[in-house]
Amino acid sequence: MERDQDGARRTVFTPIGTQARVDAVVRRLGDAIELGLLADGEQLPGEPELAAQLGVSTVTLREALMALRQRGLVTTRRGRGGGSFVTVPEGPVEERLLAHLGSWSTEELRDVGDHWTAVSGAAARLAAQRTEPDDLRQLHRSLEELADARDAAARSRVHGRFHVELAAAAQSARLTREEIGIHAEIGALLCLVLSEEKHLKDLCDRHRAVICAVQDGAQEQARARAEQCVEVSMGRLVELRLGAPGLAGGPPGPHTKEGTRGKQPPSRRRTGRP
Amino acid sequence: MGSSPRPAGGPDVLDEAASADVAAADVAAGVRDTLESVFDTVAETRTDTAALLAPLTAEGRQPTTADLAALRPGLHERLSRPGPVSGVGFVAAPGLLADAPVWLEWWQSGAGGEVRPLLLDLDPEHSAYSDYTHWEWFALARDTGQRAVAGPYVDYLCSDEYSLTLSAPVTVEGRFTGVAAADVYLPAFEAAVMPVLQRLPGPACLVNSRGRVAVSTDARHLAGSLLKGPDFGAVLAGNGEGASYEGLRLRPCGDIPLILVTAAAEQPAAR
Repeated sequence: MERDQDGARRTVFTPIGTQARVDAVVRRLGDAIELGLLADGEQLPGEPELAAQLGVSTVTLREALMALRQRGLVTTRRGRGGGSFVTVPEGPVEERLLAHLGSWSTEELRDVGDHWTAVSGAAARLAAQRTEPDDLRQLHRSLEELADARDAAARSRVHGRFHVELAAAAQSARLTREEIGIHAEIGALLCLVLSEEKHLKDLCDRHRAVICAVQDGAQEQARARAEQCVEVSMGRLVELRLGAPGLAGGPPGPHTKEGTRGKQPPSRRRTGRP
Repeated sequence: MGSSPRPAGGPDVLDEAASADVAAADVAAGVRDTLESVFDTVAETRTDTAALLAPLTAEGRQPTTADLAALRPGLHERLSRPGPVSGVGFVAAPGLLADAPVWLEWWQSGAGGEVRPLLLDLDPEHSAYSDYTHWEWFALARDTGQRAVAGPYVDYLCSDEYSLTLSAPVTVEGRFTGVAAADVYLPAFEAAVMPVLQRLPGPACLVNSRGRVAVSTDARHLAGSLLKGPDFGAVLAGNGEGASYEGLRLRPCGDIPLILVTAAAEQPAAR
């Protein structure tokens, strides 16, 4: 039986936008594998079909598959019964995720954080304006599951669902799609934050406070609290990123302020280990 | 809440109010007819599914996903009909099938009119969305045993669209086996209903039982917003005559759980 996607999983195979395309494909598929959205041994669609689904050329796709093979996330077999297959690599997940985090510059993390802050903040404000008790039930359920979830991947999936549900409570299909896209992009990285019990507890408390503000119809408070949820998560990711300067693919040293790289073309992120 | 008081104006005012009232009744009837036609397709899926499952139940054999594939020709035909429906199918109750814990036999029509299956990964190991039994379109039909209109809501399980989902329980020998359902995306519903809504002399909106606006010609209360105050549930549970609330006229749309909200007829001579 062919398997396909849930909300997060569906975005795995949607067209890629403005990011450097090879890197974007590598990230999209790599994160899906790290998050368990694509299972070990699962066959990816054929190259022409996958390229069409992602909205990239087959050349781009092949480069991306090559990078994924180098990272050990995909194996390709030729000939009859061949194709590209998902391989979930051996070894500690955390180490792989930290290496993955090393391929993000702090500026990119800041930028995706800004985007997510805007989306979740707006979603919370609108939800507070438009909510009814039925909307809140899903959010409460997700929060309970988040607090109880054992492994980081499960926590990340439920945490993503919370934000999707918040945007759905705002009655906005667009904000909901944005949340789904954001979590497809950084859901795997957030495992690094959510695996830390201290941060998990703090985030659960903060998300609970968002629900309270939404329930009270306190629009600005809901917005501020949702923004803080995002800022805390992304702040922790940046800390982890800065604490691991020697990791693969990191930008060269501390001189990443404006000016030093301004004249360079957009950086080609190295997503594989050297 | 009683029915709307008649305006106590002169003959002209009465005529005007009466004609507005007739138009509102027409609008309510139009909304009812639009969604009753969607419920007709739901009923067809329900009949097909029950007819498929009944002999298996009689044999004592548990159905499989392969058995449900027999629903496809009917589902495809329903999707290809003109009308506002964008998704149709049967959603199995957990545990119904022998080879899958949960299952949606669900088909959607794409922008180009092509019909395609919805393939969800409902393995709880991979998906945070594997439990669909809390969604209103499932829970309402299961718990009430009646057909249901869910939404408007953002359907982040199947389409990521702002939708209405109409559903009905499928029971075999008294046992709930799942729901037959159809999706209407809000743009299609608005397109179907807006022309008749715009025939009204003043702004109006359609809300669900909790006051959520589905379609509106009032720019201050657009789809997705909440109208607060009236007990819309009581209007639906009432005698079909509707009610008045602080200058608003609330009118049910037949047996469809949506309410047409208009300004009560103006009474310039009376005040």
